[in-house]
Amino acid sequence: MAEESLSLRRRLWNPEARLAYALILPTVAFLAAFMFYPIFYVFVMSFFRTNKLSALTKFVGFGNFIDRLQDKEFWWAVLRSVIWTAIGVSTKFLLGLAIAVLLNVKYRGRKTARMAFIIPWASSVPISALLWKLVYHPDFGLLNRTLSVTGLWPKPPGWLGAPYSAFGACMWVDIWIGIPFFALVFLAGMQAIPQELYESAHMDGAGSVRSFFSITLAGLQELILISTLLSAIWTFNDFNVIYILTRAGPADTTNILITSVYMNAFVDRRFDWAAVQSVITFVILTIVSVIYARFYFRQENA
Amino acid sequence: MRWQTRSRWIAVPLTLLILVILLFPFFVMISTMLKSGRDVYTVPPMWIPTHIEWSNFVNVWTQYDLVRYFRASLIIGLGATALNTLLSVPAAYAVARLRFPGRKFAMYLLLMIEMFSPVIVIISLFKIVASLHLLDTYGALIILDALFTVAFNTWMMNGYFKTIPKDIEEAALIDGCTRVQTMTRIMLPIAVPGLVTVMIYAFIFAWNEFLFALTLISSKNKMPLTIALYNFVGQYNTQWQYLTMAAFLALIPVLVLFYLIEKRLVAGLAGGAVKG
Repeated sequence: MAEESLSLRRRLWNPEARLAYALILPTVAFLAAFMFYPIFYVFVMSFFRTNKLSALTKFVGFGNFIDRLQDKEFWWAVLRSVIWTAIGVSTKFLLGLAIAVLLNVKYRGRKTARMAFIIPWASSVPISALLWKLVYHPDFGLLNRTLSVTGLWPKPPGWLGAPYSAFGACMWVDIWIGIPFFALVFLAGMQAIPQELYESAHMDGAGSVRSFFSITLAGLQELILISTLLSAIWTFNDFNVIYILTRAGPADTTNILITSVYMNAFVDRRFDWAAVQSVITFVILTIVSVIYARFYFRQENA
Repeated sequence: MRWQTRSRWIAVPLTLLILVILLFPFFVMISTMLKSGRDVYTVPPMWIPTHIEWSNFVNVWTQYDLVRYFRASLIIGLGATALNTLLSVPAAYAVARLRFPGRKFAMYLLLMIEMFSPVIVIISLFKIVASLHLLDTYGALIILDALFTVAFNTWMMNGYFKTIPKDIEEAALIDGCTRVQTMTRIMLPIAVPGLVTVMIYAFIFAWNEFLFALTLISSKNKMPLTIALYNFVGQYNTQWQYLTMAAFLALIPVLVLFYLIEKRLVAGLAGGAVKG
């Protein structure tokens, strides 16, 4: 065929391909300078000792990795990241699904309700975190006031000031931001499921619980997978909420992997440690991203 | 349907209850921004101010240089939007319409970069920006803010270009238009809704961005709103009525913009199963 007889050169260098490369070139150049090279440089840096100004001082091979992997604080951060992501994503998922179910019921004003549910996601994350800081405030915060006056929790904790409650409080803010995404995706998915399926299931005597599992959830399968992967990446990466609420404190108890990269570099001035953790985080994220990209394409082509 | 009526009786009150809980911080914001200095510091705190202090709205502009921070956020936001559009729209056209070796790989890469976390490379970026003498400049933030949404925007724009029938373009090509002409005179005008989405997304990202500004900006007159507000708190004597007022003002533009693109955003993120 003609296509096979085209030389490699013609395939790479025909007018159409040339135009394509010209259009992509600026983007590729910028990405190379400010994304690919920085990734490469983080790898390089992880094999060197650095001084307080982040200059490379001495090649140490895997020395930094060995240092970090033997440090308890590192493993604590890993553990916190795992808990943070696992509980965060599953809570967002469940609450998002519940809200989607509620919004899928037809009543007047549900469009308004939908708009209102989006606000936590639409809001600016740093500003939301600052607002939560006021809400959680031990003296002037209205959360504790509301909890104690209504009798829901007569003696609530000081939230951001104490280890466990700070972790929970940060996690809740991250969850709160992430719920609407799930709710919107699931709602859109539910509305794409043909109504007839439910009607015929009803005729066959299926109850609403049965319908929910075998029609709604089954219909959402692909979306569930993709949105969970996305949310997992976002949750794992949530630097802003923790930094603004607690700066990874008190006593590092809210320090997860992603915040510890920053704290290592710009607070402790251990750029080499930060580089090691960047590399480790990069590897984890790349694996999850590959899975996401695969499922996305599979779904697109389906 | 009977089932529908019955579920309505459960859904509506439950929806309201959840909304009250989820929107609590915004209730706190609005209540606090209208409190007088004295009401802010009463213990226990009050839900509703004793009187509404309208002067907070004026004072926050005059006493806290809010204009300056708004201006910084606006410059960074518009700059990033412009750069981002210039990069992502042509790239998206290439990926959506032209055949070239490496296209599949480019699309795969785009989708992966979309998830990329700036924190991982912040240490290298800090050094690179310093060596380019761009520390503490708008330029650094404009470039980085633009760049970290390029992948997603190229992706969204690619999706949008694909919805435009090929016939339109082919007809123009047969009529003797060049590729570049069909691109700028035929495709772009049709793609305006997609273009607007992409621009709004880039602007919102830059407006909300925190990490780059925190790391790369040090002088007060270049601080964007996010950092300025962050610095508001932290000092031992936070004037919450001004912070919440400023927060409210900073939120309005992003909320409005977000509602304009929310459906397309969800579709772009979740893929083919959700229609934009």
